[in-house]
Formats: sequence, structure tokens, C-alpha cells
Amino acid sequence: MTFLLSALIVALTLAVTFWASRRNTSASDFYVAGGRISAGQNGVAIAGDYMSAASFLGITGLIALNGYDGFMYSVGFFIAYLTVLFIVAEPLRNLGKYTLADMLVYRLKDPRVRTYAAVSTIVVSAFYMIAQVVGAGSLISLLSGGALTPSVAIPLVGVLMIIYVVVGGMLATTWVQIIKAVLLMFATGLMTVLILNRFGWSFSSLLGAAERLNGASFLGAGVKYTNPIDLISLCLALVLGTAGLPHILVRFYTVPTAQDARKSVVWAMVLIGAFYVMTAFMGNAANVLVGREAIVTANAAGNMAAPLLAQELFGGAGTLGGEFGLAFVTAVAFATILAVVAGLTIAASTSFTHDIYKGVIRKGQATEREEFRVARLATVAVGVIAILLGLAAQTQNVAFLVALAFAIAASSNLPVILFTLFWRKFNATGAIWGIVGGILTCLALIAVSPNIRGIDPPEKTTGRHLVQAAPLFPLENPGIVSIPVGFALAAIGTLLGARRRREEEDQAFEEMQFRAYTGAGVDGTVAAHD
Amino acid sequence: MTVSRLPSAAAPTRNPAYARLVTERNRFTVLMTVTFLVLYLLLPILAGYNKPLMATKVFGNVTFGYVLAFAQFIMGWVMAAVYVFKARTFDRLAQEAVQ
Repeated sequence: MTFLLSALIVALTLAVTFWASRRNTSASDFYVAGGRISAGQNGVAIAGDYMSAASFLGITGLIALNGYDGFMYSVGFFIAYLTVLFIVAEPLRNLGKYTLADMLVYRLKDPRVRTYAAVSTIVVSAFYMIAQVVGAGSLISLLSGGALTPSVAIPLVGVLMIIYVVVGGMLATTWVQIIKAVLLMFATGLMTVLILNRFGWSFSSLLGAAERLNGASFLGAGVKYTNPIDLISLCLALVLGTAGLPHILVRFYTVPTAQDARKSVVWAMVLIGAFYVMTAFMGNAANVLVGREAIVTANAAGNMAAPLLAQELFGGAGTLGGEFGLAFVTAVAFATILAVVAGLTIAASTSFTHDIYKGVIRKGQATEREEFRVARLATVAVGVIAILLGLAAQTQNVAFLVALAFAIAASSNLPVILFTLFWRKFNATGAIWGIVGGILTCLALIAVSPNIRGIDPPEKTTGRHLVQAAPLFPLENPGIVSIPVGFALAAIGTLLGARRRREEEDQAFEEMQFRAYTGAGVDGTVAAHD
Repeated sequence: MTVSRLPSAAAPTRNPAYARLVTERNRFTVLMTVTFLVLYLLLPILAGYNKPLMATKVFGNVTFGYVLAFAQFIMGWVMAAVYVFKARTFDRLAQEAVQ
């Protein structure tokens, strides 16, 4: 049944992809669906792009096993959209065409910035993608009851994502994300109603049941996060990093105007907020109804909590309803994986083609037709590389790569975006220092952190640390150090950098500000400049 | 929104509507951003340094931690609504600025 439902979802998304292929005929169609997506559609698609299997399966499992601490992730993932709404969405739409680099180059007028911004986009996307692809492999293996091993599941997901993106471009990617968001909201909404029904429509009695089974600490903080600084560091990276994630940023170019970009964030916040609130119900209910032992037996990290909970809510193991519930939620998780990797693939291949190939290698000389062809080739390349990296890393514990992607986005992209928009003296040297410094600081701190270094007892055979030595940096999340360092390096680079003449600098800033705040010069579909 | 390109970038800064837009929008963005960051960071700070408070039951079995976390969601939606409301003024000023 799981197979049947998953096959139905894949058939539906492929049908949409071939429908979209008729409207995927130029580079602009490919990158941003011609900028013709409506605000409502884009809002749902942002939600679909963002709510990953790591959220749906991972956070439900975290709450089921650790109680309240798992729910703090949910809050951070949601609140992050205020940063996106207040600071990034509208100016980005007004200043750029397809990528983050467009916006920076528009203001800073230096082609070197394009290269570095593209590298940052590709690095962030790559880490996020490896985590998703490896996660997809083990999840599908888990969800299929071992029928599909990760070595089969990873290429399967990779091939599907290549088809969506190459054939249907951004339009198909958008609709895959919309379909997945609707399915996911439906599944979590229905489960929450069934949960509340079981507990007399009272969250308090659900928590009461969880407390009786797990003790009072389950309802308070501290079960998972024992180091407060590490927790604050994680929260900072979540709330500041989302506004620098390339696959989210690219979504704002798919709508016609800055007003639509604003409306899409609001739509996304309605769905994302509702979803993450429901994780509190699902996680606690999984703990109570399925039981810690059954969850850990299925998967030590708790990833099976949500599907097992669905089985229980729909009638229990062995019943028709229970098997249907399990199959449905498993199929939804599969759709979730596909939608997120498709979004990452298109963001990475857009940046590679538009910034590196057209902007740097061909110095802006490539025709629309050539760009369109190269973009689809790049997608195949990105997809194949993702599959290979996923296969290579399939036995590693890669969950920290998601936190790393958020930390890099917060430490290298966000400072540069903020300074570009608000600091008159900011220049290209500052942007390059900020981007390179942010990335290197994050990578260096992660390399010496407890994610990589640690001393395992000899009897531990799986999930061992890569380097068997004491960590040199105490935190798992580098954000609290790397974000200020990113800002500081961008500022130092600016002060050291070669200055253009004062009037030129002022003029570039005012031009940027005028356009960012009024949308002047942005024609209905695609920005006029390059 | 279809607006033609401007002949020069220096001229519009003298438009009073534009000057108002820049001042008000910058002030509003800073105020809103600082407010939500401070309120949001209360959550990890209290979770890290005041565990007894987070575990205190407020309504039935619902602890202060859950109340604070749910309040963050309400804060997010309210601040988004306030922003959208305020943005209407900015849209109007932007229209005037390009005329």
C-alpha cells in the first residue's frame, strides 16, 4: 500500500512536470517560471520548499524522545520568517533577477562579487543537499521496511529530482512543492485532530499523559540541550540563516513584484506556523500512544515516530485503517523529500549557470537560448554529483550538515545582504571578505567541534567521530561565534578595500536604495538590468 | 508594477515622499527586527538559564515553556500582520516617490 500511494504521488508530480514542460522554454522560465507565479501559490511553495522531512519526521521524533527541547527547533524555524519578511524579501525582488549575486552586483558593481556569492550559494546548497539526500536514502530504506536500501533509494530520488527540474524547470518545481505542502498540511492536520480527539480536546491532558510516562522534566527544557550557549548559538543560526538560504531566496524571483514577495512570505508564515505548532501535538502523542521503546526500536534517532503515530491513530498495527495511515504518512514523507531536493537542485544550477557560466565564464555574453541549455545540463550535473556525494556519505551521520548550512548562510550571506542594503560605505572588498570569512570560519569551527572530533569507546562501532581526539571548539553550532565574525570581516574588508570615488559610491548606494524601496525600474515580470 | 527607468538616480532623493519613505521604513525595520530578536532570544536564554521557570505549570499541565513557545508563534503572526498593515503606507509613499 505504501508503494501504491507513493507511486500515485510520483505519477501526479510527473504529470504536472510534463504539463509544465510546455511552459519551460526559456532561461527565465527555467530559473523563475518567468516570474509569473502568484503570491498565494508562491507562499504555499515556500512552505513546501522549507518544511523538509527533517522537520516532519525529525522534529516529531525529537519531541517524542526529548520532550520540550525538540519543540524549540519548531519555534526557530518559524520565527526565522520574520527576518525574511522584514529585511530580505522585498528588496531582493526589486534588486535582482535570478540569484542573490544579482542583487549584490547591482549595488557593488564589481563582477568579482558575483563569483564569491555564487560559490557561497553553491556551498550552502551542497551541504543542505548532502544532508537531504543521505537522509532521504536512510528514510526511504526505513519507510519501505528495508525493501529499498539507501544505495537504491538515493539514485531513485536523484533521478526523479533531475526529471522534475530539467523537464519542468521552476514551474514544475513550484507545483511539486505546492502538492507536497498541501499533502503535508492535510496529513498533520488530520493527525492533530485525531490526537486531540483521543485526549479530550485538551493539550493539557496530552502533556499530563506524557508526564506520567516520562517524568516532569519532559515538559521543561534541558533534556537534550545541556549547554545553554550551544542552544543560543543554534537558535541564532536558525533565525538569521533562513534569510540567507539560496533555495528560499530564489523563490522571491518567481513572483512579479515586491508586494507579491511580501504576500508570499505571509502566506508561507500561516502554513509554516500552523505546521510547526502541530509538531508539539504529534511529538508528545507519539511518545504517549506509540511509546518510546517502539519508536527507538524502529529507528534510534526517532525518525519513525510520525509514521508509527499515524498507524496508531488510524486504528493500530494490523488493521486496514492503521496500515493505510502508515502508508499515507510514509508517502507524504517521500513527497516531502522530493520537493525539497528539487528546490535545492534548481537553486544550485541557477546560480551555477547564471552567475558562474554566464556572468563569469562568458562575461555576460551568453544568449538566452544558450543559457537555457546550459542550465539544464548543469541540473543533470548537480543531480549526479548529489547522488554520488549522497552514496559516498550514506553511512555517516550527516544531520549536522543542515545546522552547518544554516550557520554558513547566517555568517556569510546575511551580513553581506544587510550591509548591501543599509551601509552606504560598504564595498566589494567588504562583500568578499564577509562571504569568504563567514564560510571559512564556519568550516574551521565545525572541523574542530564535537560534530567531527570526539573520543568514542572502542566498543562503539557505528556513528563514530571522524577524528578520534578531544574537540577544540566546545559548541556543536558555530553561529554565536561565526555570525559576529562574518559581520566583522565584512566591515574590516570594507575599511581596507579600495575606494571608488566618493560621489560614485554615493550614487550607487542611492540608486540601489531608490530601487529597493520603490521598485522603480523593475518591469512587471523580470528586472530590466542584468 | 510597471515603472519606466529613471533618467538619473540623484533626483528622487529630493522628493519629500521619498525622503519620508526612507526614514520611516528604516526606523520601522530596525524597531521591528530588534524587538522580535530580543523577544525570540528570551526562549533559548530562559531554556538555558532558568529551567525551573520553564517547567512551572501555568494552565493545567501546560508549562511556562510551552506557553512561551506558543506565544512566539502568536508574536510571529501578529508582527507579520503589523508589518503588512504598515507596508500599505510604504507602498503609497513609494508610488508618490516615483511620480
